[in-house]
Amino acid sequence: MKYLPLIFRNVMRNKIRTLFTGASIAVSLFLVVTLHSLLASQDEIMERTKVHDRVAVLHEAGLAGRIPIAYVDRIRKVPGVVCATPMSWFGGNYREEKVQFPQFATDPKEIFNVYEEYTIPADQLKAWQADKSGCVVGSVIARNKGWNVGDKIALQGNIYPVNVEFVVRGIYDGPSTANKEWLLFNFEYLDDKLKKENHEARAGNAGIIMLRAASADAIPAVMQTIENSFASSDAPVKPMTEQQFAQSFTEMMGNVRGFIRYTSMAVVAALLCVAANTMAMSLRERTREIALLKAIGFSQSTVLGLFLSEAVLIGLLGGVLGALGGKLLFASVDLSKVAPGLGLFFIPWKTALGGLALSAAIGFFSGVVPSWRAARMSVVSGLRKVV
Amino acid sequence: MAGLYSRAIPARRQIFTASYRDGLLAVHQSPSRKLAAVVPIKYNIRSVFARKVGSLMTIFGVGMVVWASIFAFGLSAGLDKTLKVAADPLDVIVMRKGSTSESVSAVSDEVANIVKELPGIATDREGRKLAASELVIFGYLPRRGKTTKVNVTVRGVVPVSRDLRESLHIVEGRDFKPGLREAIVSRTMSERFEGLGLGDEFVLRGGSFRVVGIFEAGGGAVESEIWTDQTVLAQLVDRTGAMSSMQLRAASKTDQEKLIERIKNDEQIDLNALTEEQYFKEQADQSSLMKIVGGMIAFFLTIGAMFSVANTMYGTIASRAREIGTLRALGFGRTSVLSAFLLESLVLCLLGAVLGCLGALALGDLRTGTMNAATFSEIVFAFDFGPKILLKGAMLAILMGLIGGFMPALRAVRMKVVDSLREV
Amino acid sequence: MEPKLDQQSDAVVQLVNVSKEFTRDKIHIPVLTNTTLHIPRGDFVAVMGPSGSGKSTLLNLCAGLDRPTTGQVIVNGQDLNELSEARLSKWRSENLGFIFQMYNLMPVLTALENVELPLMLTPLSRAERRQHAEASLKIVGLEDRSDHYPRQLSGGQEQRVAIARALANDPVLLLADEPTGNLDARSAEEILELLQSLNEQFGTTIIMVTHDPKAARRAKRLLHLEKGTFVHADIEALEAVR
Repeated sequence: MKYLPLIFRNVMRNKIRTLFTGASIAVSLFLVVTLHSLLASQDEIMERTKVHDRVAVLHEAGLAGRIPIAYVDRIRKVPGVVCATPMSWFGGNYREEKVQFPQFATDPKEIFNVYEEYTIPADQLKAWQADKSGCVVGSVIARNKGWNVGDKIALQGNIYPVNVEFVVRGIYDGPSTANKEWLLFNFEYLDDKLKKENHEARAGNAGIIMLRAASADAIPAVMQTIENSFASSDAPVKPMTEQQFAQSFTEMMGNVRGFIRYTSMAVVAALLCVAANTMAMSLRERTREIALLKAIGFSQSTVLGLFLSEAVLIGLLGGVLGALGGKLLFASVDLSKVAPGLGLFFIPWKTALGGLALSAAIGFFSGVVPSWRAARMSVVSGLRKVV
Repeated sequence: MAGLYSRAIPARRQIFTASYRDGLLAVHQSPSRKLAAVVPIKYNIRSVFARKVGSLMTIFGVGMVVWASIFAFGLSAGLDKTLKVAADPLDVIVMRKGSTSESVSAVSDEVANIVKELPGIATDREGRKLAASELVIFGYLPRRGKTTKVNVTVRGVVPVSRDLRESLHIVEGRDFKPGLREAIVSRTMSERFEGLGLGDEFVLRGGSFRVVGIFEAGGGAVESEIWTDQTVLAQLVDRTGAMSSMQLRAASKTDQEKLIERIKNDEQIDLNALTEEQYFKEQADQSSLMKIVGGMIAFFLTIGAMFSVANTMYGTIASRAREIGTLRALGFGRTSVLSAFLLESLVLCLLGAVLGCLGALALGDLRTGTMNAATFSEIVFAFDFGPKILLKGAMLAILMGLIGGFMPALRAVRMKVVDSLREV
Repeated sequence: MEPKLDQQSDAVVQLVNVSKEFTRDKIHIPVLTNTTLHIPRGDFVAVMGPSGSGKSTLLNLCAGLDRPTTGQVIVNGQDLNELSEARLSKWRSENLGFIFQMYNLMPVLTALENVELPLMLTPLSRAERRQHAEASLKIVGLEDRSDHYPRQLSGGQEQRVAIARALANDPVLLLADEPTGNLDARSAEEILELLQSLNEQFGTTIIMVTHDPKAARRAKRLLHLEKGTFVHADIEALEAVR
């Protein structure tokens, strides 16, 4: 510890170099941490929402399959199920926008029981339940699109051959893990509309059924019962936990996880190279000083420790800037404006701290060879060395 | 003393001196010849190689960055390319108004028959119109080695569909027989999905299909599809009276415009028509997340690398202060010294670029699949490591070299000659 | 002594009332005060004096590497104050030759290429440059070492390459800063012999800063600097050293 001032002075000796090494580590770590968070933030949300004991019931043929709406009532009666709601993806186009946002036809009486952590003012919920052609929207999407209670939203059907129009009756909110980019409307409204416009065949599709179980222990039995009871029907179903359901989406992205890993490895390797190079340059310039340190009695291990600490400190400087800075940045910037669907993106603490540890490791390993050489250097030749 | 003297100065010195002086006199007195005061390139190149380990580290670092960037570019470019390889620029896709992809579209047989009779549709040698109603549904299959399933596109086709995709040819096995639950799949799909190997069976909406043939289609979206007989598929999913979409080929570019115009505006038809190119372009736009991520990787890595290149060059310049001072004392101007060190940083980065490009090429024919954001179904594509992408990576390296090298080079120039000469 | 500003005069170097101050941390440090100097063509001047007496500054001023605070520096008829930084670079390449204490050879270039370096600044063709460089190496007696890199040469040989480099562009004035400071006695002798013979045979004007009285003795004249002013009459001082 008593060497700390010396180490610190050495770090600050060549400010530009330290700054640049730090900056290059910071920028690259920011990238690595961000890429990882693309996946890790999903996992973390899942981990945190686990307490809500939700199960998604899908058609055996996946999202494209059709689940009769009557299943909802049958599922509600399964022992261990607290509440259940259909969530039928409408997939309508809003104005001329190319990118769709999530719109679900659902049960206004049950949806906020299933998503118990979501919040909505009681009067707004009541208003929505009372108005069949009403909808509620998430706080994030409402802010981004500038919607307020009372506004009208028209959507052009894409999957369904009908166009719809809603009045915003409420704006829901929720904890950080809540998806606040949804538009929710009454399932019956869609059903009526389809029947009225002679698309009888398309009506009555629950899409998926989301249910909340009484407890985590009840989930396996609930899933088993549901799977069995529809097994021999026209539309067999596949229940999965909310976590598995989300994972299947990540899975659909394909080998992205692998690519992120490759890229990160390349970045870390590149960083190691440049950081080691900088450290080597820095120590080469100090050959005579190092020799002097040893001449006045510093042991090899002290010299080694001195320079390794210096390297780690520089690495950490980059790590603090890149990993923690990245965390702060994403915590204060609303990404849903830039890219819809990224509203839930954040850098989990685990990833940020992992990045910090990585930066320290980069610093450490970059310093190993140069510091070792410095520690092993002969005092005599070091003192004599001119350039 | 005399001995030393005569050894040092050769006997021919007077003759030599005369010609030598004359020559130089001519040099200084010929203002018409423009001076090219450039520090010799070999000085910089050799300097790069003189610091073997240091240069190698920097080159390797830049190389990794270029490699990762090319990887990211190659990913999004490959996806783009696959979606944009249209069978024919004259092809038109007809869907229900408002549908953004075939799978959610519906076109009734009634209307389809009207469309088929529209003027301007190309015909084949036997006089058949090149227009086909097709049924597109999603299968739900597991990737090889994975348990979770993803959506895959299954296309129920008619004989004309084949004429509309000339590039599709069966490379293994045989074609499916009409009326049977048989299917042909692309080679890439066959490799990536459980149950899609030649002779295997897979389950689709409760029906079991046998894979009887493997096809290739020269890249493009068709390579992410499973093809089967339309009648069989329609029966299975209980679709009557309407298929998903229509595929047709116009006789000419003008016919194509007219056709699209007509299909969109004719009240009897009232469908949406767009060129195949446009259709895939819109899908590619929706898959832009890949592009954003790729661009982000390249952007941040390049900036990070710029700092390290700058660092290396600062180090280089600091340790060669005396050399720089000497160059300036000898009369090399600021511009020549500046360009010399910029050049040196460029050489470093270009070597890195070569390394990165070679690394990318070593990956070879890399294929992967992801979710098509427009259809939520699997799309298989090959990374694009074409010359354009490699050049893009190399441009990044040049950028790193120029921007990373500029400040240090500027410092080299700004150094006071007097001080740098004294530097040890 | 009234300084002559005649551009036609035989003086290679004229310093007229030159003062030079350095400012470090807001403190003004005078290095040269009101110095006037006249060095005729073909002269060989040794400049001596304790550290900080302004020897190197004098040399730098003559080379146009530094500008005086006040006064004029005229070299070969050219007032250096009149030249821009860029023109000075070009002017140096045409008029000056440098010899440094640390030789300052480019470690990555061979002896011949080092000598060729200043010739890159002339419009000479590649072949001509090579010819000139070889000739210069021959003058210093190192023609058989032309392909050697500096690290493969001894200190004395390195300094001779440096001299060859200084000669390559046929300079009007040769500036030497402690040319023997880093050499053993024997090598130093050789270098001094070489400088002396260059002065005698080619009439090259040389200004040499040195600490070494033995080196100073080789010069025709001695200037002794103390606290920024010349303190001794030249010839007497030279005699005194002897």
